[in-house]
Amino acid sequence: MIISVASGKGGTGKTTVAVALARSINYCQFIDYDVEAPNASLFLKPDIKYIKKVTIRQPYFLTNTDKSFKRCADFCHYNAVASIGDEVVFFSELCHGCGGCILVGPEGAVREKDVEIGEISKGFCPPGINFLMGNLKPGNMRTPTVQNELEKNIEYDNHVIIDCPPGTSCSMVMSVKNSDFCILVTEPTPFGLNDLMISVDVLKNLKIPFGVIVNRFGIGNDEVLNYCKNNNIKIIAKIPNDLNIAKYYSKGLSLIDFDPIWKNKFNDIISEIEKEVLKK
Amino acid sequence: MKQITVISGKGGTGKTTLASSFIKLAKGQVAVDCDVDAANLYILLDPYKKITEKFIGSSKAEVVGNCINCGKCEELCRFDAISDSLTDIKIDKLKCESCGVCEYICPTEAIKLKPEEQGEFYISETAIGPFIHARLNPGAENSGLLVTKIRNIAEDIAYRENKNLIIIDGAPGIGCAIIASLNGVDYAVIVTEPTLSGISDFKKIFEVTKFFNIKSFVCINKFDINLNNTNELEKFCSENNAEVIGKIPYDEKVPENLSNKKIIVDDMSSEAGKEIKRIWEKLEGYLLT
Repeated sequence: MIISVASGKGGTGKTTVAVALARSINYCQFIDYDVEAPNASLFLKPDIKYIKKVTIRQPYFLTNTDKSFKRCADFCHYNAVASIGDEVVFFSELCHGCGGCILVGPEGAVREKDVEIGEISKGFCPPGINFLMGNLKPGNMRTPTVQNELEKNIEYDNHVIIDCPPGTSCSMVMSVKNSDFCILVTEPTPFGLNDLMISVDVLKNLKIPFGVIVNRFGIGNDEVLNYCKNNNIKIIAKIPNDLNIAKYYSKGLSLIDFDPIWKNKFNDIISEIEKEVLKK
Repeated sequence: MKQITVISGKGGTGKTTLASSFIKLAKGQVAVDCDVDAANLYILLDPYKKITEKFIGSSKAEVVGNCINCGKCEELCRFDAISDSLTDIKIDKLKCESCGVCEYICPTEAIKLKPEEQGEFYISETAIGPFIHARLNPGAENSGLLVTKIRNIAEDIAYRENKNLIIIDGAPGIGCAIIASLNGVDYAVIVTEPTLSGISDFKKIFEVTKFFNIKSFVCINKFDINLNNTNELEKFCSENNAEVIGKIPYDEKVPENLSNKKIIVDDMSSEAGKEIKRIWEKLEGYLLT
């Protein structure tokens, strides 16, 4: 069973919830899909055993061959290649590594090399959490390539907890699309509500069952609760607004360190989710 | 004309709280919300939409003709977007990156790239000036293209209306949307918080601003929830020549004002609001020169 933890708005407590889930069941695979700003390792403190570089293949042009690269420039959908006569300018940041310029360019004059865009790492947290994360290299835009690499390493026969990136665009969809259930974490403010509504749209489109955890419960207003009630969305849990939880978080300690009662609560939550998933 | 972008790496550190305050204090300058997939600034600025336009992003591959199932496209697609089936091929639109290789290689012209509407953008007016914002369709990609699009519009408006400042609210992360919202700006304000996650994400986004040679100012939000971590952030900044331009205290008035859709600097009793005002006064010194 794959459970993903997502939220439209950033900083609502995705990692807090995902880590608490993993620490409650103790035997699972944990994947940090937020490759632009991965944080779960700070809380789970895995013993990293394996790091693999993620690369894409990017072209280089043999410009001393007296050939025109105009066709490469014309073909490139990302404007990563510009050509004037036999001169060629290549913008590495724009290149997705599709290999199109090799196909259309003068034979033998466009070659390729591996360019590192990030890495994935695997580790272990006792007693039984297989930890996996991706990390995009700053200055780079190849978020989907790193996420693709994570997807290849999902342990489908294990319990899997996925910590998603914020937002509702492609990188969030990439993270939730394989899940049997998604937990949306929000906060009871107008920003939280706005972004929750967009996330709900995404999950409904993807036909993924979901429930909501309201974090920092006590701030703001009732609009999130009313929205969930009016739309028959289940509220799985409410985590109170407590400065002490924030202080624990700031030190890399989890909700379960703060109050072990959450371990039981999250185990109950997982059992509930499991029942619901099995019903389908 | 100058441009300044508020970013953070980690989400929920207070980008929009700061950006909305700057926009209010700057009076009458151009505002842009570059968080196009979870846009929030409009909630505080209360715009009326003048113009709504469709955003056509890039094109996605589609099977339109007679596929003979030769497998060439599947073999060449570097994004794993094409998979085989018994009769023809299947294209995963989420994975398709619009490169056009499949269209080029197909011997029967069975694949075409078709433009897709991926969201809309709005050229609005608020009580405190022009405001450009957008909404990317849920699950869509090309947030970077949409960000570039609305920033170009903001620049046109700024030139036309003789504004001397564009204030940009960025998105969380360090990927394409963020790079597009930093491209060519004069300054970045990085909002962080003294948590281990905040520090880790701050270091990544700081590296991005360095990579693109953008001068950044650092603002530590909720600095008093962990003074050790605040010290660590300050130490890192001084070692890396980044100016800490302000430290905002934890203040329950922030979510309270937010819930009433009020901009924090309008609440004279808020300590956080007062500090943000001081930050803006310091920034103005740079922006007016």
